[in-house]
Amino acid sequence: MSNVSLGAIPNSYLPEPSSIDAGGDGDGLNFGSVLKNAIHNVDQMNSSAGAQVNSLLQGGGGDMTSVMIAVEKADVSFQLMMQVRNKIVSAYQDIEKMQF
Amino acid sequence: MGMFSMMQVSASALAAERQRAEVTAVNLANAETTHTDQGGPYVRKEVVFSATHGSLFHAAFNSAGSMAQAPAGSVRLTDVVDDPTPAVRRYEPGNPDADATGYVSYPAINPVTEMVDLMGSVRSYQLNASAISAEKQMIEQSISILKPS
Amino acid sequence: MASPPGIDVLQGYLKVLTDRQQVIVSNMANVDTPGYHTKDIDFQTAMRQVISSGGDVQLQPASMELQGLPERPDGNNVNIDRESLMLSQAQLQFQLGVQLVKGQFSQIITAIKEA
Repeated sequence: MSNVSLGAIPNSYLPEPSSIDAGGDGDGLNFGSVLKNAIHNVDQMNSSAGAQVNSLLQGGGGDMTSVMIAVEKADVSFQLMMQVRNKIVSAYQDIEKMQF
Repeated sequence: MGMFSMMQVSASALAAERQRAEVTAVNLANAETTHTDQGGPYVRKEVVFSATHGSLFHAAFNSAGSMAQAPAGSVRLTDVVDDPTPAVRRYEPGNPDADATGYVSYPAINPVTEMVDLMGSVRSYQLNASAISAEKQMIEQSISILKPS
Repeated sequence: MASPPGIDVLQGYLKVLTDRQQVIVSNMANVDTPGYHTKDIDFQTAMRQVISSGGDVQLQPASMELQGLPERPDGNNVNIDRESLMLSQAQLQFQLGVQLVKGQFSQIITAIKEA
């Protein structure tokens, strides 16, 4: 699903509200996809940051400032993912509690 | 080049200026030396600096962890040469180092010139020491990006 | 989205500053090297590139020799006062850049936590 574009990171870490389709059809807000996107993003940032840190530690060329920024981006991505996960879990639990 | 290589460049300047100051100090100490082991008066020494060539920005290709190579822009003392100025001769017939005509050869060293040289070394040293402080500060600030602000 | 300079632009800014610092440091190291000429980079042009490309471009810095500085008898034209001034300026600009980056990240983290 491509409605929630977490790939808009790094300039905007928050999903554009208008792009979340909360409509009634099957293409609506899909918790699983949102989380998958977030995890994928974190993974990418992590490996990129990891590679840069390795290169820096080996004494090679890494512009140190860029490495720091990459590491911080990965960290923030991770925090975003954790928040998304928490919200999803909490929403699921709310739905479970509903009695019919 | 990277921030750590920058410190190497400044450090090379500190080392070079210190060596230059040492040579000046030896000149000063021997301003009146008329008799050395090699015979004849002390000869004034001068230093020659030269810069390491290469692009300042493409060291990444040849570094790959080899810190042994001086980064482009470093300076080093390549030579200590004799000053060709002829010795100063003074008439001192009673001096054991006097030649047949009673003249003694003294090193062509002007203490004022040496002091000015020394002050120049000190000023350059301070300049590069302040560069190292600035570089250190930059590294610390970069690291602070990771700390919660 | 229109926002204060994004993190990528700031990253480019800090990189250009680091490159400039390298040149200044080399000038300072060679203040007594005969024949050495002061070098610098075109900061304005580099920053224009950074801003127009949104910080994505991998910049190729080019150092050029500065014109108009008087040469001493040994061929060296490095001016201690100028280099000191440039160093202080670069330091402050770098500090500014880092503070802005930290501010951006801090904003994002707050937004994440408050959601």
